[in-house]
Amino acid sequence: MEKITNFFKTFLLLELVKGMALTGRHFFARKITVQFPEEKTPQGFRFRGLHALRRYANDEERCIGCKLCEAVCPAMAIHIETEERADGTRRTTRYDIDLVKCIFCGLCEESCPVDAIVETRILEYHGEKRGDLYYTKPMLLAVGEKHEAQIAKDRASDAKYR
Amino acid sequence: MINIEIDGKHIEVENGCSVIDAAHRLGIYIPHFCYHKKLSIAANCRMCLVQIEKAPKPLPACATPVAEGMKVFTASEQAVKAQKGVMEFLLINHPLDCPICDQGGECELQDLAVGYGGSASRYQEEKRVVLHKDIGPLVAAEEMSRCINCTRCVRFGIEIGGAMELGQAFRGEHAEIMAFMSDTVDSELSGNMIDLCPVGALTSKPFRYSARTWELSRRKSISPHDSLGSNLAVQVKNNRVMRVLPIENEDVNECWLSDKDRFSYEGLNSAERLTKPMIKQGGKWLEVEWQVALEYVANGLRQIAHETGAENIGALATPNSTLEELYLLQKLVRGLGSHNVDFRLRQSDFSADSKQTGAPWLGMAVADINRVDRFLLVGSFLRKDHPLLASRVRQATKAGAQVNLIHSTDDDLLMPIANKEIVSPTEMTTVLAQVLKALATAKQATLDTSVQQIVQSVTPSAIAQAMADSLAGGERVAILLGNFAQQHPQASQLQLLAQHIAALCGATFGFFGEAANSVGGYLAQAVPFADAEHGMNASAMLAAQRKAYILLNVEAELDMQNPQQALAAMGAADMVVALSAYKHHATEYADVLLPITPFTETSGTFISSEGRVQSFKGTVQPLGEARPAWKVLRVLGNMLNIPGFDYNNSEAVRDEVLVGTDLPAKLGNVLHGVSAQAATWDVTGLQRVSDVPIYATDAIVRRAASLQKTRDAATPRALMHSVELKKLNLQSGEMVKLTQEHGSARLSVIADDSLPHGVVRVAAGHAVTAELGAMFGAIMVERA
Repeated sequence: MEKITNFFKTFLLLELVKGMALTGRHFFARKITVQFPEEKTPQGFRFRGLHALRRYANDEERCIGCKLCEAVCPAMAIHIETEERADGTRRTTRYDIDLVKCIFCGLCEESCPVDAIVETRILEYHGEKRGDLYYTKPMLLAVGEKHEAQIAKDRASDAKYR
Repeated sequence: MINIEIDGKHIEVENGCSVIDAAHRLGIYIPHFCYHKKLSIAANCRMCLVQIEKAPKPLPACATPVAEGMKVFTASEQAVKAQKGVMEFLLINHPLDCPICDQGGECELQDLAVGYGGSASRYQEEKRVVLHKDIGPLVAAEEMSRCINCTRCVRFGIEIGGAMELGQAFRGEHAEIMAFMSDTVDSELSGNMIDLCPVGALTSKPFRYSARTWELSRRKSISPHDSLGSNLAVQVKNNRVMRVLPIENEDVNECWLSDKDRFSYEGLNSAERLTKPMIKQGGKWLEVEWQVALEYVANGLRQIAHETGAENIGALATPNSTLEELYLLQKLVRGLGSHNVDFRLRQSDFSADSKQTGAPWLGMAVADINRVDRFLLVGSFLRKDHPLLASRVRQATKAGAQVNLIHSTDDDLLMPIANKEIVSPTEMTTVLAQVLKALATAKQATLDTSVQQIVQSVTPSAIAQAMADSLAGGERVAILLGNFAQQHPQASQLQLLAQHIAALCGATFGFFGEAANSVGGYLAQAVPFADAEHGMNASAMLAAQRKAYILLNVEAELDMQNPQQALAAMGAADMVVALSAYKHHATEYADVLLPITPFTETSGTFISSEGRVQSFKGTVQPLGEARPAWKVLRVLGNMLNIPGFDYNNSEAVRDEVLVGTDLPAKLGNVLHGVSAQAATWDVTGLQRVSDVPIYATDAIVRRAASLQKTRDAATPRALMHSVELKKLNLQSGEMVKLTQEHGSARLSVIADDSLPHGVVRVAAGHAVTAELGAMFGAIMVERA
């Protein structure tokens, strides 16, 4: 029986027709390719991109230097040093994230008791040297300041699920 | 003995044991906050509630004594319900600030809240607020709202520290812990309250917010400060010592630590640390390579030994140096042909040298102090010089021991004193002789000829008689000589008299010892009489100025009996080699500074005053180019071609000293061939009484910033009896000029009627008084 089917397949080009049918379906199907960077995919409010350090509305930095993010970070990408500031509060003197090490798991954000360290929707950042991706406290605070409106909106959207 | 059953496990315990103790012996943990094994029972936290068969309600395990046939359930439904209820009440007023709390990660409340706390609070009302308090430079009480009123700190003060530094005022919800005695809590043991506090109400001020507990690695070490040899857990982060905690050792420091041991680590990170070898050339200090510096030292020493004779080289070391360092220093000096090596820098009477049966030591085990029932303390600033030994004496007095005190100052020892005789230094031998005479009369004993003369010349006073009676009535008597007695110009006479008193009443007799290696120094042979040929002692080496000095850890103007003489000798020397961890005043007189490491950066051994050999490893890497002193001395030994300097590690040095040595046989306080003479030392006019303040004893504590802010580290003042002030027509608080030999210092003078007449109390070991002369002897006071 198999010998007979194979015999007909040799001149009826059945596989070719099947292949062309698939091609034809995709030819007329809706296109999902995105022309990055002109076009962009939609992002959820829980998107985990570049990190930022936030401030309160009165310009006070949120971070209290509890080091929970440093402790929880599975890639050990966070390095923090703290001291008592002149007003008696606990503050960081150093808050570094090595984005080369970071695996964007979001545990730092999860562990933060004051929503200070957050992951933003920013994914288009680059470094020309390896060291460029070592983000220090002023850099992280600058990211936070620039995107605070979006960050706050995203946290608000997520609040009801937390 | 009583048989009880806890969670189905049987145990036999002695009558009076509490349920919690019995449970802990079985390895069953009962949650608790206010209970502490070293403190009295308060039973005010209620966390240890357990179910006991036939009891209608849960009972606190800490305050319930065991009874025959008792059945205890620590994890039954009733017990756990009670414990959870207590936890809910405790958490009502406790702030939720764990993320910024320094106790976070090592907090007993945090740990137990995980097991017994609810996931959310039912409490909606306002939380209690207790205002923060500033209680000095060591203990932070900035967040007193965290306090759960367990009163461990209060009980510690009363029971262990001797004074109620913290107390609980007001009642109920208004109850709060506050400083009771003065504004600050910085007595010599107050740091222990930080360890005791189960929450973050009392935390360490120097450590505040600098690290979290989970970041720190914990390494064992031994305290280099006092002669107790406290066991330390040095906590390290990024190759930096962040804080120091006690390691429990029931035979040494129990679970306590003196503030000096706890907070001195700040001195390790001081900006004054020397990190590169330096040579003075043409009056200027140049940083050089080790090779250059060591060659310079080796050539210099070789040249001086060759040209002027090796006896022109002298070596001085502090008793805080390790056994290995002291041993190699003496081996180096002896290898060069000199015998001038000493570590007893503050001693002034060396007449007992080589007349003693061994190294002066405590004469008993530290733990035995608690069991003594009669003390005779001679010349000791006990609380400040030996904080934890003082605490043990205090525990003994709680058990009924009587303390007899002969001293030149009357500082409050925070314990009951049965009899005390406060006399000037010149009269101290007389008082001891009086006690000896009274005791000999009572026991109808004939005295040895060595003390007969002085005993015949005195008549016992009523106090001496009372002391003799007290000592004669004891079963376990201890006669202990303090640092003051060891530094005294008649130290050997005091020792001889104390020895005879001890013999008469069957007492143990010993020395508290000045520093971590006061016993070790003798075993390391860092004394001029260790071998057949005798060299010069610390005092003689300065009096007869040498051409070259090797200083190990020594700051000449602070560590010596006579700073004036020491500085003169250093100034006149051709070559001074200072091995030091710090860039200090030696820059004025030294020619070479070799950076060595403090105890945390080297391995070594200390032999405590009870003869306990404790070795330790380095906890962090040496700072900069500093190197352990034993390595420096080893290389110097090689460069000078002295045989036997091929050690691979410090253990090899230690073994050379200690292996095959019968340590107990090397300890001995008994004097032979010394005799006490009546009134051999007198001072016309006023005489000086000096203590070395607790935070001025060695190079590390002198640079510990927080300790230097305490009351004990205040600028020294001259203290005199008000009668003496009146004689000189001076007012208390006035500035005076103190003069000793060629030097003078300006201090304010304060009336202190607890001092004997005819003395001026001026602290030694401090930059302000470094211009003055010897710690004992004549001193002039005039209006500045």
